[in-house]
Order: sequence, then structure tokens, then C-alpha cells
Amino acid sequence: MQVRVTVGGGRLTGVVVVRTPSENERDREIAGYAVPVLTSETLTAQSAQIDTVSGATYTSEGYVRSLQGALDRAHG
Amino acid sequence: MGDRAGAGGLPWRHAEPVMGTVVSFVLRHRPTPVLRAALADAVALLHEADRVYSPFLPDSAVSRLRRGEPGRADAPSEVRRVLELCERAHSRTRGAFDAWADGRPDPCGLVKGWAAERAWRVLREAGATDVCVNAGGDVRVGGAPGPAGVWRTGIADPRRPGRLLAVVAGRDHAVATSGTAERGAHIVDPRTPAPATGLLAATVTGPELLWADVYATAAMVLGAAEAHRWIVSKPGYALLAVAADGEARQSRAGAESSHPQAWMIADAIPIASPSDKHPQWPGTP
Repeated sequence: MQVRVTVGGGRLTGVVVVRTPSENERDREIAGYAVPVLTSETLTAQSAQIDTVSGATYTSEGYVRSLQGALDRAHG
Repeated sequence: MGDRAGAGGLPWRHAEPVMGTVVSFVLRHRPTPVLRAALADAVALLHEADRVYSPFLPDSAVSRLRRGEPGRADAPSEVRRVLELCERAHSRTRGAFDAWADGRPDPCGLVKGWAAERAWRVLREAGATDVCVNAGGDVRVGGAPGPAGVWRTGIADPRRPGRLLAVVAGRDHAVATSGTAERGAHIVDPRTPAPATGLLAATVTGPELLWADVYATAAMVLGAAEAHRWIVSKPGYALLAVAADGEARQSRAGAESSHPQAWMIADAIPIASPSDKHPQWPGTP
């Protein structure tokens, strides 16, 4: 996969996929570790397909209103 | 719709309140007796880590150590091992991670990631190859969430609660985030010592949750510029830092870096995965 990085005002504003990878073993292997990819639009819970959420450590009370809490409840 | 209503009740989820937070498990396996026992072991391991290492419980091994009873040499071997990891964390982070910041041992900045990594390994060794453990926002994944997909971890936007800043996708890796969004400026720069306020959040990805977690905490202390220079000396680890002014920057191990491997890894991430292979967010049509 190739990405095009957009820079505006000295900051990274977007990453666009130019070419997607083939589903071969090497791609799978090097996809084993990952780095974050900033997207050009705001990702909302509704538009992003995610399995889990990483963020600042929540308390057990904070969990209830966290995205991860909502995800766990939704999948019960 | 994919896994959510998949055959056999896959995936199988559990959320456990422990260590002052909640640890969420996703297993893409049938809940066999063997895996149920492994999950119980993983959960027990987390509670045991809480009992032994919490500085908030007066009878924990760490609380006794902090009172000087007994001395470190007499502490249980596992406690000594964790303190050794804390020393390694101190040297690997240029002193930004310091379990002795107040002069007494407090490994709790390292224990959650260490314990979650071990819990993940307990499940994996029991045969749960496709599993995700999320310890209060610090994530360890293995295998895949579906037959053809990769795990996708949303990174919470520290400025806009309920929204995501980025998505990390991959198979076997860890994602840890430190930040001020949930509990304020609670990370202290052990070198000053004042609260670290240069960054709103720091997310580190890499092969092990123990180190991703330590490095994310250290990045908060180091600040964006120094943290980005420092992280390239950690093979396999990458940083996404959100500065106090909202600027988000991710490490790009490219021409300027001695570790071009990380650049290749970034290039290999599928941003858009097959939609029907992943659990969907509530409200998604």
C-alpha cells in the first residue's frame, strides 16, 4: 500500500491510500505490528469500524461512559 | 452481520473491573471449558497483580516495600523481577519513566501493562490465538477478529470525547495510550518534578504491551519533539503524539530514521478492511 500524506500549515492533515496491498503472506507478516494512521476526516464512532479503543486510562466509573464501555455493552 | 451475530456466539466478550479500571476481553473462539478456565486464570492474574503491586492497598507487597519492610532483597522473586523491569524502563526512557520518583518504589506505572501482557499470554498459550485484551485503554491483540480481517483499534481523540483520532490496524501488536483526558495531568515529570503538560496524549504501538505502555508514559514526559527523536531508537515501536495545541504527529521512520522497517510497517496497514468481518459500532446500519 502507498499512502499520500497531506501537510498543511506545518502539520500532518491527512493520509490517503493510493494503492491497496495484495493479501499475500508478506503483507500479513509486516502488518503484524502497526503504527497509527491519521485519516483526513474526523472518525466518529459511527463511521469507524473498530474492535476496541485505546485512550487515556479510564477509572472504572469513567469506563461506563467511555467508547470501550459502549462497545462492550453493544456486543454484550 | 459478521462476528456480532456469528455462528457459535463468536466473538466471546468479558469485561472485568480490576486495578481501578476495567479490562475488556474479546476472544474469537468458542467458550470451551479449557478457554473458560484460561480466562478465569487471566482474570485471577490481574487481581493478583493488583493485590501485590498496588501502592493503595496497605498490605500489598509494594506497600510493605515502600515502608521498608522487608528490604528489596527479601521481597518475593516476582516483585524483584518487576522492580528490575522498572529499572530497565528508567534506562530505556532517559529517566522519563521513574518508579522511584518519590524515593520509594512504586511500580504501578508499569504493572498494568505487564499484567495485561501476561493475561494475554495465558489465553494465547491455552489456545486462544485470536484474542484482544484491553486494560483500561491499553490494548494487546493477537491473531485476528475474523477469518480475513485484522484487529482495528480506534485511538480516542483527547480533545473530543467520544470521537476517534486514528485507527491502528494489524494482527499481533500492542497499542498503549497515556494522556490527560480521563484523569487530568496525573503524569509527573520525575526530573523536575512537575506535571507533564506538553502533550494531551501519546499513543505507542509495538510488539509488547509492557513496553508500549512504558513508552507512552515516557513520551508524555519527554514532550513531542524529544519523544519523536527518542522513539526511533526503539525498533518496532512508533508514536502518535497530540500536543497541547491539538497538533497530532506520528513518528515516520523514513529517510530521517535509522529504522526504515517501521516505515514499511506503516505502509502495510490496510486502512479499509472488509466491512463484514468486523464487529460494528452500535447504530451502524
